[in-house]
Amino acid sequence: MDLDAVLPFIILPILLLIATLSHIITIIIMVVIGMGTLYVVSRPRQKNRSPFFFSWTLSSGICMFLVFELGVLRLLEITQLENFIFLLLLACTCYFFYKMKAIADYELATGSSKGKVYSPVLTADSHYCQICQIEVNEKFFHSIWWDCCVLRPNYIHFLAGQVFAFGTLLVGVNLGLTTVCQPFVFYGTILLPQDCEDVYYEFELAICFVACIYGVGYLFVISIVLLHQLLVYIPKYSEPQWRRLVNVLNV
Amino acid sequence: MRHAYKKKILYCGLVIVGVIIFLHPNMNARRTYDFIEKRNILEHLYDQTAQNFTSPAILDCDYHDILFDDTTMSINLMDGDLIEGHRIKDGGEFHPSDCKPKFSTAIIVPYRDRAETLRGFLVYMHMFLRRQNIHYRIYVIEQVDMRPFNRAKLLNIGAAAAFKAGYPCLVLHDVDLLPLKPANLYACTKCPRHMSSSINKFRFVLPYLSLFGGAIAITSSQFKLINGMSNEYYGWGGEDDDLYARLEVGELKLCRFAPDTSRYHMVTHQTQQKGEKRHKLLNYAKNRINNDGLNTLRYTEVATVLHPLFTHIMVDL
Repeated sequence: MDLDAVLPFIILPILLLIATLSHIITIIIMVVIGMGTLYVVSRPRQKNRSPFFFSWTLSSGICMFLVFELGVLRLLEITQLENFIFLLLLACTCYFFYKMKAIADYELATGSSKGKVYSPVLTADSHYCQICQIEVNEKFFHSIWWDCCVLRPNYIHFLAGQVFAFGTLLVGVNLGLTTVCQPFVFYGTILLPQDCEDVYYEFELAICFVACIYGVGYLFVISIVLLHQLLVYIPKYSEPQWRRLVNVLNV
Repeated sequence: MRHAYKKKILYCGLVIVGVIIFLHPNMNARRTYDFIEKRNILEHLYDQTAQNFTSPAILDCDYHDILFDDTTMSINLMDGDLIEGHRIKDGGEFHPSDCKPKFSTAIIVPYRDRAETLRGFLVYMHMFLRRQNIHYRIYVIEQVDMRPFNRAKLLNIGAAAAFKAGYPCLVLHDVDLLPLKPANLYACTKCPRHMSSSINKFRFVLPYLSLFGGAIAITSSQFKLINGMSNEYYGWGGEDDDLYARLEVGELKLCRFAPDTSRYHMVTHQTQQKGEKRHKLLNYAKNRINNDGLNTLRYTEVATVLHPLFTHIMVDL
């Protein structure tokens, strides 16, 4: 068993537990996690060749899920329907990310995306992935957080996974925060949290609150990722399609 | 082939177990529930006024318009002051002067140590209740000793005071709850009524069907029938479920108004110290009904003061 792969399952719960002490500590811990992330993404890519990051993602997902199902739901303020919607979104998220990884594995083992192993020179459309340490055709980027090369065939799954993860977190965080905090009616049946002053008096409320704040951090990261995709990769992904369209018009 | 079949069954089993665990069949918070339809409320109401109450007015008050009033009160009212000429008598008693009310209600509020909340509550409640054309009086029962807060016993003491004044209907009310809908009439129905079934703090859901705390309306005779509430619950929690157990013993079914009508605002505050014995007490709730309640109520009354907006009963439990 690789230590790197196990570590996040120990570090993250401990950090979240410490963060329940007071709101200042929560802020400090969130800032520390944020700075750690910034450090990781800013250092040279080949150094990030470790299962640690994928484990971190898994650990975050599992922690937040357990806090929601065992902590927030115990407060008896979530209806079956709301829980069902949350689980449905979560299932979609899991499906798309699973599919993304499965396609990448398949493509890099046998599919057409696999580059020539002994090629002395790189061809125009192939690419050397420093993390997988193989040559890859049609590579978009490598995501260390999913330990997976994102290629043209699985790009759409990556995107759908991010969108659903965003939705799941949004619903989960909103349900969690409106449960532990004093909510107000935003519009119709949509509630938003208003006053979260007294969450630190009880551990049960505090852990839910901290997990929600962590979820808000994730929401922020995912929205940056989605924005980045919108500006960089979606044009790249759809380029052949609109070129085909333009070609049709040219004829 | 057989192997794949087995795998499928395994996955199906896992999915079913997962669904059962994570859909929590025993956790049934709900946005809606069985309630008395608006048009049927009038016939469910228990119309009786206090024994020694006589109204100088000739015409009977009309409650139809109040029940169909759709407005929502603004909680900012509690920060303001009462309007001039409110005609509220000392002790917090009020009755409409232009018509004869059909209902008399004693509103009983257990209280300790939250002066600001109480002030807001009183101002808000008087503004709210004046609109409803009912005869009412607000009793605030304050626990002056240093033991953990005993909400149920304070309510019993308030109920005893209300019986003495001849009130046929009790509303047992928390000081941090503010009703938002004037259509939520503060009168008793023939069934004990859970009034605060849609509180903002609980995301406007009813956490469980047998919840009978917060704000409830019960007739004096029903309250006597179930021997009031238990006197044993010191600290937060449990006493409302105990009361529900008593209703079950007395074969009284509770009722509610529509969620939209039953909206409440909870004023934020620090959570209280939880009662340690509450789970143990709850297990034997039904057995204690005859020897723990109104008939065993012992306390020392420190003072009773008639303030302009409420009757203040200070007690040492």
